[in-house]
Amino acid sequence: MNPMDLVSRLVRSADDEAHEDADVRTDGGTATSERQGSGRGFLASNRNLVESLPFWLPPALLVGLFVYGAIGWNVLISLTDWEGLGSPEYGSLDLSMYAQLLGDDTFIIAFRNTLVLLIAFTVVSLAVGLVVAILVDQRIRFENTFRTVYLLPMSLSFVVTAIFWSWMYNFEIGMINQLLRLAGLDFLTQQWISDPQWKMAAIIFALMWQFSGYCMVVYLAGLRAIPTEQYEAARTDGASTLRMYWRIIVPQLRASTTSAAVVLMVFALKAFDFLYVLFGDTPGPSVDILSVMMFREAFSTTNWAYGSAIATVLFLMALSVIGPYLLTQYRRGDL
Amino acid sequence: MATDAPAAPAEPSDDQADPTETRESDRGLGDQLRDVGPGRVALYAVLLALGAFYLAPLESGLLTAFKTQEAFFSTTPFAPPPIDGTTVAPWLSAFDTLSGGLVNSFILVVPATLISALLGSLAAYGLTNIDWRGQLVVLLLFVAGVFIPYQAVLVPLTRFWTMVGLNDLLAFWEPLASRADLVALIITHAAYGIPICTVLFRSFYSTIDGEMLEAARLDGASAATIYRRIILPLSGPIFAVTLIYQFTQIWNDLLFALVLLSSPENQVVTIALNKLKGSMVQQYNLQMAGAFIAALPTLLVYVLFGEQFAEGVAGET
Amino acid sequence: MTDDNQRDATRRSVLKGASAVGTAGLVGLAGCTGGGGGEGGDGGSGGNGGSGGNGSEGTSGGDNASDSGGSGGGGGGSGELELVHWWTAGGEQEALNALIEGFEEKYPDVAVNNNPAPGGAGSALDAVIKNRVLNENPPSSFQIWPGEALRPYLDSDVLDDIGDSVWTSEMQDAYLQGPKDAAAPNDTFVAVPLNIHRLNNLFYNTSVMEEAGVDPSSISDPKALLDAMATIEENTDAAGMAQQTQSPWSTVQLWETVFIGEQDTETFKSMVESGDASANEDAIKSALTTVKDYKEYFNQDAGSISWDQANSKVINGEAAMIHQGDWAAGQYRAQDGFEYEQDWNMVAYPGTEGVYSIVMDSFVMPSNNPSPEATKKWLQYAGSVEGQQKFNPIKGSIPPRTDVPTDPFGPFLQSQIEEFKNSDTQPPTIAHGTAVPPEVKTSIEEAFSGFIENWNVDRAYSGIADAISGN
Repeated sequence: MNPMDLVSRLVRSADDEAHEDADVRTDGGTATSERQGSGRGFLASNRNLVESLPFWLPPALLVGLFVYGAIGWNVLISLTDWEGLGSPEYGSLDLSMYAQLLGDDTFIIAFRNTLVLLIAFTVVSLAVGLVVAILVDQRIRFENTFRTVYLLPMSLSFVVTAIFWSWMYNFEIGMINQLLRLAGLDFLTQQWISDPQWKMAAIIFALMWQFSGYCMVVYLAGLRAIPTEQYEAARTDGASTLRMYWRIIVPQLRASTTSAAVVLMVFALKAFDFLYVLFGDTPGPSVDILSVMMFREAFSTTNWAYGSAIATVLFLMALSVIGPYLLTQYRRGDL
Repeated sequence: MATDAPAAPAEPSDDQADPTETRESDRGLGDQLRDVGPGRVALYAVLLALGAFYLAPLESGLLTAFKTQEAFFSTTPFAPPPIDGTTVAPWLSAFDTLSGGLVNSFILVVPATLISALLGSLAAYGLTNIDWRGQLVVLLLFVAGVFIPYQAVLVPLTRFWTMVGLNDLLAFWEPLASRADLVALIITHAAYGIPICTVLFRSFYSTIDGEMLEAARLDGASAATIYRRIILPLSGPIFAVTLIYQFTQIWNDLLFALVLLSSPENQVVTIALNKLKGSMVQQYNLQMAGAFIAALPTLLVYVLFGEQFAEGVAGET
Repeated sequence: MTDDNQRDATRRSVLKGASAVGTAGLVGLAGCTGGGGGEGGDGGSGGNGGSGGNGSEGTSGGDNASDSGGSGGGGGGSGELELVHWWTAGGEQEALNALIEGFEEKYPDVAVNNNPAPGGAGSALDAVIKNRVLNENPPSSFQIWPGEALRPYLDSDVLDDIGDSVWTSEMQDAYLQGPKDAAAPNDTFVAVPLNIHRLNNLFYNTSVMEEAGVDPSSISDPKALLDAMATIEENTDAAGMAQQTQSPWSTVQLWETVFIGEQDTETFKSMVESGDASANEDAIKSALTTVKDYKEYFNQDAGSISWDQANSKVINGEAAMIHQGDWAAGQYRAQDGFEYEQDWNMVAYPGTEGVYSIVMDSFVMPSNNPSPEATKKWLQYAGSVEGQQKFNPIKGSIPPRTDVPTDPFGPFLQSQIEEFKNSDTQPPTIAHGTAVPPEVKTSIEEAFSGFIENWNVDRAYSGIADAISGN
């Protein structure tokens, strides 16, 4: 796409929604108005449906079978009272497992922790990733090297990064406390991963370390897609650097944010491995999360139905955390 | 240019920050900062500090991989190995354990990554660049599929594959039949990768100029032609992103592999890596060496595709 | 993403799931997780076993899944013995390999498929085995803690009775009561214990103890240990006790050992078996309080290290003592210049003389066994003098059989064997699965995961009480 197209697109989306012919889906910026379009496009729309089928139907079938088939089955199991190593009874289905969840303190705690982890991890990683991306975008030398270094942690599996961080957080010899002592800040040294006050923050920080590099890469791409005229314009307006980024650049990174946030949510759901390696299946009330609890209930104690109910809640929670955000982005045309 | 980067020796070949000449002169902030010496120094100082931050935990792992077991327990994880406690034995031994798994992982990851990326691209195209009624509902199903916790589907998945009896279906060709559980794992990972790939591709495709597509349609191009001639050539950068992402995810996955692979011949590298972990006494040097060996391919993928990613997004189409 | 759409989607996937399950019921869930590559492994006989199982799977129309599974295995003859275990690294791996080699020498007609489910102490193995058992596609035999850890398998009747085929009277005579109880939680033998680690040990660094002027054998009970540790920290730079509190299991095992030390084996057993903690409320709380008081003498980084890092503090003199299973001695043995009796030594945990708390691993015979004859041979071998003699010296554990020659064992294990034979009681353990069913164990560990965060005795007690009563 040439720069002029980009500019016109950006101008349009910054303006009100444009008015395109409903025949062809043009771009994100005009999505909503088209979808709300009148009956004029109906026939065309049907023809498009047929035309689009070969593209999305095969993947949809695969996803339907494996992903929704499996999660549907999981939901079904959560309605039974299956436990032990026998077979589930699908005869009488009810919501008793969900009722039981509501009265389970462990669940309430894990639910809260999961919510905190999902949101805090996503926000912190996005923020750090954005700042790093802006720094890297300053036409620096060795950009490749820096980028690769920042992304390096992501390539490692949780099995080892969890061990790294248990060393980093060691009270006596861990690097974090050692640096604090070096700086004369002894009073700040903490039992990072055993003090319940700090445990969750320490976990989020370690996960941020691992995945902020990914956000950096996504934001960097976003920054590069912004036409340079905008920097120019801002500069001639006399905007300060900070102001320019905050007012002009950052709002245009919505698409990058969406894409990074979705991926981060996936990583947050996988935080299971990290906690599991550090603490086993009982990480303690301060960092117990739903996926760990689910594993504990299902595979450690063979309460399959209960574990399935937890998994269902986790799934719905992830959806409802990011759903509204995605919906907003969709309405704006950024998704 | 040479004066503004005191921290870095001039080495043009490494400086590929900006492949597009057009942007050379018109970047505001870059110029601003470049002209200010102290600001530049501070920038590099921050970047180096960040590098240290991202590398520090790795350093401990790397050093540990060169320590003998005794040296590990007698030194702190961040200290370099003592002279008499330095060894490369963990690397050799880890490689020995991992080599079979590495091959199987490639057999698994390459097709699974390609399939999920390609299908994700197709789905995103069908749901983004061709407009039709009701696509929102289908799109929703794809998006929601991203957030399925893997633990939740282990039992249904294994039951499903049991019902399918894949090695019966593949019995016509022995080499494939003996790989049946690897095939099952490829299909499973491909299917579970499609939702996230679709979302990633969609956010990219929604920025493609519709007028261009419309023009092509008016010229009589079919949807398939448009995909092949316009969309696909534009998709380089986003393919890079999804390939990196999927490659990393599938390469590092342990959970699915554990329950779907049952023969030792088909085990992948994450399982082999876990074998280095003892139930009681841990050999950290071995584990760390193994971890770095296992991570090499993902690193390589990033280094290879990262370049294309950055260049492509910078505006080359 | 409106609510309506979401609900809609959910409802539809439920329906889809339901129909999938319907199909599952019809087809019958025979054999072969993940395509049953377990059999597909190495050509000839393996291939036959695989196709046998699969053939029946394809045609079975009803619920004869278990039958077909059995016949599938029979089709493979006594061909392949698939063993699933978690001994994948270091000495454990060597020990198992020695056992398998011995077995293969004795039974050359049986091909062993050594198929570990790695991941350390049961974690991954749990998921893999339970999945395979659910799919009625178990391996020939798998490693598991005996005792109450077997409960879910027994409740679902998926383990075969091996009382006649394996547990000959000769073998029964060679085992002490504790291990025999663990092998037969329902009074029928279903498991063969292969090795024993002792839990109630107090290891110490002799020079630190001498410097502090403390004689460990004179410490009479768990509370008296507090005074000893105070003396140690007064007179030396070492921490009184090395401990890890990153994950709860070490604190669980410390607490249960203190409990036995303050009470006795009988009280311990009645506590875990009664299903009612209230009768022992004071005893439980007292042991918790003692552990809490110990905490003052733990190494400062207890919360961020693993048990072997804690153990290395005893080696390098940063800590005086450690309570740990005798797998800890394996680390001392591997350390050059750190010799038994000169540099380190061990006493029974204060108050537990005459007690040998046992941590065991065992192998079982799952129902629908793919290779019943070979499995029987394997279990017989695991229960034999020869097998246990090959395995245990390398593993650093003692044989459950009392008639295994002691010469291959080092001096430390020889003394452990002696104490085992002369022990009055051999209680099971909570932390290592033998004393309570997995569900209770997990709940107790949950209670302790809170305890090592907040060290609140009352809250830990109510957690333990709930766990034991099954709430």
